[in-house]
Amino acid sequence: MTLDTVLDGTAAVFMLVGGLMSLAAGIGLVRFPDLHSRMHAATKPQVLGLLMLVLSAAIMWRSWSWVAIALLAWGLMILTAPVSAHVVGRAGYRTKHMRADLLADDELASAVDRLSRQRGVRREVKDD
Amino acid sequence: MTLLDYSYWITQFLLALGVLCAVYRVYKGPSVLDRVISVDVILIIVGSVMLVEMAYSGSTDYILFVVVTAVIGFLGAVAIARYVAVRQPDSEDLIRRTEEQARALTDEPASEPETPKSPWGSGALPHGGTLLEDESTSWFAALARSGFVPKRKQDDDATEPPPGSSPDGPDDGTDNKPGPGGAQ
Repeated sequence: MTLDTVLDGTAAVFMLVGGLMSLAAGIGLVRFPDLHSRMHAATKPQVLGLLMLVLSAAIMWRSWSWVAIALLAWGLMILTAPVSAHVVGRAGYRTKHMRADLLADDELASAVDRLSRQRGVRREVKDD
Repeated sequence: MTLLDYSYWITQFLLALGVLCAVYRVYKGPSVLDRVISVDVILIIVGSVMLVEMAYSGSTDYILFVVVTAVIGFLGAVAIARYVAVRQPDSEDLIRRTEEQARALTDEPASEPETPKSPWGSGALPHGGTLLEDESTSWFAALARSGFVPKRKQDDDATEPPPGSSPDGPDDGTDNKPGPGGAQ
């Protein structure tokens, strides 16, 4: 067992984990009931799956110069995924794209009620 | 076949399954935000396919496409989410107000105006525009049927604040619906 075999095996395992993360995202997108739980599923290939595939590619290249660019791709995803998740989640909460009956505790509802009562922006609709 | 070959084909199969699930959610998704996150997932999986292909063949041809994929998915999601966050309360208030006006004029039950024309076209609405059967927007249908009368601006705010008192309030009751580009 040489070093090449070990590195190839490690890259293969990382590749499989990345593929499993994408499959988990797909199953979560299909199976989960509302927007925010689907967002929870959709971030799996963004962070961990992409990291696994980037590491796999970097191991297979065996070159340090391309590893920096591969990690740049992953770093861009790390930087931009919270921004898009925040904006999408806020838009989903404001437009009631969620199922409040599935929540254990909605801590944001009191703040939203207070603000909408003060400024009168929009009456938040309670699903009774 | 070595272990890497098996891993390559199994991973591509798993990525294809993930893409198919995300495409199903884009097709079925009840709101535009579900479609946004599904398209985001599809874009990331396309980048993942490129990464797997590069790792298998040992080439570095597509790495810049992976970088561009990360940035493009972020921009699209933010743009569409901002658009939904700004637009949808306005459109809901407009729809609610026009429904109330139509019901006051014609004294009909609200069965017919349940298919409103949204500013982003009828493609964003489920089931061809009928908001009845969908679980994530059924509160809107229930509200439209409940006979909730929004108060005007000249009524004072001793009671509950009116739902349609957006900052551009005085003209959106009489004016037409603005287009998707926003005529404000």
